[in-house]
Amino acid sequence: MTSVDADRGSVRGATLVLVVVGVVVGVAFAPQAWGYATEPDGTVAVVELHGTITGDSASAVVDDLREARHNDSVEAVVLDVNSPGGAASASEQLYLAVKRTAGEMPVVASVTGTAASGSYYASVPADDIYVTPASVVGSIGVRATLPSGGVPAGEVVTGPDKGSGSTPDEVRQRVETLRRAFVGSVFAERGDRIELTREEVSHAKVYAGANGIQNGLADEIGGVDTAIAAAADDAGLSDYDVVRMEAPQASVLSQLGLATDGEPADASTEDVFEYRGVDTVQYLMLHGTIETDAAADATGVTANASA
Amino acid sequence: MRAREVARAVGVVAVVAAVVVAAAFAGGLLLDSPTQSASPSAPAYQPNELVAQPIADDGSVTAPAGDESKTVVIDVSHGNAVSEDALQPFVDALVAAGHEVRLFGGGTSTIGAEPGAAFNETLRSADALVVASPATTYSSNERAGIEAFADAGGRVLLAAEPPTTTSTSSTVSIPGLTSGSTASASGQPTNLATAFGVSFGDGYLYDMAENANNFQSVYAAGDSGVAEGVEEAILTDATPVTTGGDASPVLTASGVSLSSTRDEASYAVAARNGNVLAVGDTDFLTSGTATEGDNDVLASNVAAFLVSGDKEAGAPAAPSSSSGRTGGSTFSSV
Repeated sequence: MTSVDADRGSVRGATLVLVVVGVVVGVAFAPQAWGYATEPDGTVAVVELHGTITGDSASAVVDDLREARHNDSVEAVVLDVNSPGGAASASEQLYLAVKRTAGEMPVVASVTGTAASGSYYASVPADDIYVTPASVVGSIGVRATLPSGGVPAGEVVTGPDKGSGSTPDEVRQRVETLRRAFVGSVFAERGDRIELTREEVSHAKVYAGANGIQNGLADEIGGVDTAIAAAADDAGLSDYDVVRMEAPQASVLSQLGLATDGEPADASTEDVFEYRGVDTVQYLMLHGTIETDAAADATGVTANASA
Repeated sequence: MRAREVARAVGVVAVVAAVVVAAAFAGGLLLDSPTQSASPSAPAYQPNELVAQPIADDGSVTAPAGDESKTVVIDVSHGNAVSEDALQPFVDALVAAGHEVRLFGGGTSTIGAEPGAAFNETLRSADALVVASPATTYSSNERAGIEAFADAGGRVLLAAEPPTTTSTSSTVSIPGLTSGSTASASGQPTNLATAFGVSFGDGYLYDMAENANNFQSVYAAGDSGVAEGVEEAILTDATPVTTGGDASPVLTASGVSLSSTRDEASYAVAARNGNVLAVGDTDFLTSGTATEGDNDVLASNVAAFLVSGDKEAGAPAAPSSSSGRTGGSTFSSV
């Protein structure tokens, strides 16, 4: 009897110890379990496309988009667009990168300012384009500077087109080719929604947000948060994180106009796009007036000389 | 014997290691999900459909030799946006056919001489006059001289361009009201054209659908006279001409729009009124453009038009018999 009681007592004691140990272990892991239960289903990445599109700024956005594709937690992308466009080749790179991303996950463009020319090109593969009444879409067209032609004085070149690269007729031809690619891409991506003809689109007008929705260049009215919610919804996320991938910022010194080399603070279009010290024909998908006045030229030459 | 055991042990290790590596490789192949998706197709990037074709550029401008050598005067004294260089194919053709081409760059101004006297003096010995894209208006004296010149059988070519800048003066000038060389719609011999029943447009023509690689390069066609054989003239940055009176259109661009009104219609781009030919484009006479499309045919026809006139000698008459000194705000009838 006593031995049986002793046995029961020891079993109870052991059970109690085990329960306590179980509670302790459970409590130790409970935060993880809590965290696991309340963890977001995924992440919506907001990729910024801000400022003039150059080769460098486009590369940064293309890298951001690649990172979003490769990061398993990113389930959707919102493209935050505010750019007047820029270099034609860089705009095409952006178009392809956004298109590739849109093939893997929901991509929604939110026009927070201007999506004109090259930056509209980049937005076109998105599933939806969100605008506000004052934001601007369109300017679907290409422009180029005409070559000065001839053999530059004081130089020896190996061919008649070495200096300028092409004749004015060939520049026109190439601009027309780029226009066909641009307009063709816009119709390939949004042809079912655009209410305009190809000729009307080729006029390269810009449209305010509300007009853009009417003619099919944009889809919905809404701010960037609406776009994020829509992208999350498309990806089936009810609970999500938002990560912003920012556009590269100009250095503080150059913003203050104190940069000793690089672009002057009031850079003309030529300064932004030209290769240093070389005047080449620029093919641009850019909305707005190109600044190529003599004063800007002088600034450029000065900057080149001191750099 | 001991060596054999060692060899066997080494063999087993090698085989097991190889199996493990192979299993890892196979597992990697089977279980790895591709991180790179297929590259997206860009439907609009098909080079065959994309690349704009170059425009046929193989014509040559010719002028008929005729029985006698004619003298063609090209006026460059009114800030005309042409030079002998710019009109080279046209000038070459005339010279090659044995005609004489003179540039009038403004006469030596004699004190007390009437404005335009030197100009009219030059016309007296000429058979044809080319007025291309003037920046300033012609004085009423000069205009009267050109009218008398045309009446006497002298051939006149008025070539214009769209107004380049926002001009302060209206494109429709009131004949006789302007005097001296006041700024007009730059690029258009407006007051000369209106004297011959022709008016130039206030914008450029464009065609978004069918064009020569640029919306501003429109196709124009005609079937008789100066436009004979011209099926696809390529006019870049052309302005329409409106005709009235005895003037009639000879060259037409169909399905094009005018930049200032955006109206799509069929626009006349060249008109003839007797001995006067007005063309809403100057570029078709310049090198690089004169050989594109049917421009060579058009330029050759224009050259033939200029040298096929039969002008009375001595017109316009000397200043003493002209209507008198003009100046200030004297009104003169057209």
